Amino acid sequence: MTIHRLIVNGRPREIDADPKMPLLWVLRDRLELFGVRYGCGVGICGACTVLEGGRAARACMVPIADAAGKSYTTIEGLSPTADHPCQRAWLDEDVAQCGFCQAGMILEAAALLRARPAPTDADIEVALGGHVCRCGTYDRLRKAVKLAADYARADSAKPAKKETP
Amino acid sequence: MIGRRELFEGAGALACLTLVVDLGACGPAPVARVASAPAPAGPAFAPNAFLRIAPDGKVTLYAVRLEMGQGVHTLLPAILAEELDVALDGVTIETLPASAGVELHTSGSGSSREAFAKLRVAGAAAREMLTRAAAAEWRVDVESCATERGRVVHASTGRTLAYGSLVPAARKLAVPEKPALKARSAYKTIGKPIRRTNGHDIVTGNVRYGMDVRVPEMLFAAVARTPVLGGTLIRFDGAAALAIPGVVGVVPVKAGIHPGVAVLARDTWTALRARDALVVEWGPSPVESFDSNRFLDDLPNAFRAPQVAVRHEGDAHARIAEANGRFEATYVYPFQAHAPLETMNATAHVRDGGVELWVPTQTDVRAVQMAAKVAGCAKERVRLHPLLMGGGFGRRLFADYVGEAVELSRACGKPVQLVYSRGDDMRHGYFQPATAQRFTAGLDARGRIVGLAHDTTCAALTIYEMHDGTDIWHAPPVRPPQDYAADQSPWGAYDMPYELPHLRVDCADVTSPVPTGPWRAVEYPSTVFGRESFLDELAHRAGVDPIAYRIELLPPGVKKIGPFEIDRARLRRVLDIARARSGWDAPLASREGWLRARGISANVYHAQSYLAMVAEVSVARDLSSLRVDRVVTAVDCGMALNPLGIEAQTESGIAWGLGATLFGKMDFERGRPVQSSYADFRVPRIGDMPRIETVIADSGDKPGGYGEHPVPLVAPAVANAVFAACGKRVRTLPITPEALKRA
Repeated sequence: MTIHRLIVNGRPREIDADPKMPLLWVLRDRLELFGVRYGCGVGICGACTVLEGGRAARACMVPIADAAGKSYTTIEGLSPTADHPCQRAWLDEDVAQCGFCQAGMILEAAALLRARPAPTDADIEVALGGHVCRCGTYDRLRKAVKLAADYARADSAKPAKKETP
Repeated sequence: MIGRRELFEGAGALACLTLVVDLGACGPAPVARVASAPAPAGPAFAPNAFLRIAPDGKVTLYAVRLEMGQGVHTLLPAILAEELDVALDGVTIETLPASAGVELHTSGSGSSREAFAKLRVAGAAAREMLTRAAAAEWRVDVESCATERGRVVHASTGRTLAYGSLVPAARKLAVPEKPALKARSAYKTIGKPIRRTNGHDIVTGNVRYGMDVRVPEMLFAAVARTPVLGGTLIRFDGAAALAIPGVVGVVPVKAGIHPGVAVLARDTWTALRARDALVVEWGPSPVESFDSNRFLDDLPNAFRAPQVAVRHEGDAHARIAEANGRFEATYVYPFQAHAPLETMNATAHVRDGGVELWVPTQTDVRAVQMAAKVAGCAKERVRLHPLLMGGGFGRRLFADYVGEAVELSRACGKPVQLVYSRGDDMRHGYFQPATAQRFTAGLDARGRIVGLAHDTTCAALTIYEMHDGTDIWHAPPVRPPQDYAADQSPWGAYDMPYELPHLRVDCADVTSPVPTGPWRAVEYPSTVFGRESFLDELAHRAGVDPIAYRIELLPPGVKKIGPFEIDRARLRRVLDIARARSGWDAPLASREGWLRARGISANVYHAQSYLAMVAEVSVARDLSSLRVDRVVTAVDCGMALNPLGIEAQTESGIAWGLGATLFGKMDFERGRPVQSSYADFRVPRIGDMPRIETVIADSGDKPGGYGEHPVPLVAPAVANAVFAACGKRVRTLPITPEALKRA
């Protein structure tokens, strides 16, 4: 075993684990951040998406050794009071059904809005095209991302708003 | 074998506990506490099992069905809240505890249909008692009091009393059996958009599914199962797996669909990767030669064998024989996987002669039965905590994985959480059976039907529907002679809604070695695909507009079929709405290189919900690709209880149906399931989705249920649109570019 140091939701963490252990299982089984979901384990469903810095990453594809020294945000760290623009938009559009895939979708959308504050339909389809939702919430998802972009713009127009990832 | 009806009825009585999962991400050790429900200050007001008001005013509403995304933990409490007259915000919603003796079994789009009347009475009875208590306190007429969002109001004096303060007095009153129900015009919540009650928890990561359960000393299990349907376990060597740090045991397991070898480990990842280190020798299977594509090709041959009568009206065979013209076509629906995003999992703890279970399940009944059977204890000794499901779609009507978890916990004496990998979930399921529908019509000179015969192989589902742990490969179950009419099945064949005086529906029993079970909308997807495609073919052959052709078959009036009463005016109405709202009569805008057209389908689900759907498709001129651009659905599911929920289930049903229409198919070669992930079992993604418009045609009738209803309409609407666009008729799903080129 090896000690790996990383930052999760703003907190420094030391993880003693096999270097090959995927970040997904470190977050779930060691840190009990259950908002990170197992859906496929091979990077094609998007359920385990987290933010690595400000970029979306599939936690199932990141060995803990590669995560060392980096900073991660899970859904639990995005905003516990649900005031991130994506969370607000998700609630307003009533996107979720079973909810299992939604944390990954929200974090992917948060990363998209950082990179493209006014995303087009094509941007949204590319960014979220790597995610599976078996309940088929896609229609509302698309609307929610656009609404979140509006919220984010309105927020940035306000002075001295605490920045969320 | 347990029939569908029996599962809806009966009762179980189990102890009630509340599961509290500690969310403490900072906590050092995995923790879950199982605690009794906290005692409120003083006895609560609980005139029935469905609601409870504490003296401090805290309201708890109990959901009587299980939540898998379809919204029952929003809608059912909302019905109670409406009649009780409390705001849905701020109340606590819990799953009805087993001590209430009510089965929570959730299937067949039955929740709102079955619970609506009962929940209204429960809420109204409580409201009446609270009102009486307030009137007594004020010494005024009950009639002079009203309720308003959690309190009783005496309008003429402006006095109010909160429900909480009335609890001690209301508890002493008799529960009225026939309380006055609110008039629909007085509804404040029902009929308006109601957002999901657990939305905040979902977007903050605070919802808990099965894999999030933590029990002290719990072990994690992954199971290697035979790769061949019906395969057996000969021997295994777990030495290499046991050598991996964190692995604590390797044991055989046989309670599931297939025998396997389990690795027990201290975390999920270790269990999953140590499983790959197992050396296992699997035995032969009697069905090693099974090939599902060959099976699909052979299916229509089943219609040569004796058939079981489903519905006979008039003399269809004679009319067809003597008819002017005749047309016959056969439609094939392949095997389908459920593939919910949350893979199968269960946590079990066998101890003290009983079992404690934490399972995302659609059926408390079968989970408890299975646990008791495997643990060898009485059902009363099983305590089940049903959890939110990350999708159900029918797969979680089975309890095979519950049996495996119980068997493993029994073997090691510790709590065990069994987790299926995506590959396990895809390969070891109960699949939607592959079926064929053959339609034969006798036609008059104008191309109108004078007699119709529908032969279906949908019996396959009825046979294995609730198979649990029986060895179907070596001892195929013999289905007792069954009166299909008694079970109103196969759905969509038995309750064919159109007016056809000479109709004959027969069923051929076909067995396959594939374990099968209900998939979203059960038999309707295949029967409706066939029927609605066939009507479309007849309309085109007659040179008649496909909607007009259907309308001719829907004379006004109510058609009685067994217990069903189908109001054909309601089906006509949704067809008319779909026609108008889709712009059916206006040409589609042309697009360079593409052929574009619309297609229609219609269906009635259990004589309760009436739907019509128009799909707009674009097919590349060279047939190299196709896409569905827009889907318009007109729905009359009676009284629209939650328009937002109806729209959500329409969007969801279209996505689900689109998967089977365009991509999804489960294959078996040499007895082995072929697909194993979302890479080879393609499901719709955001870019595959059409624009969706839902028109709710509220008829004010009894609520009709809705969780599955749009699914069956998708494939025929798309297939009919594809034909209209490019002249290619695809009768075997999925409609791929290859299928178009073959057609």
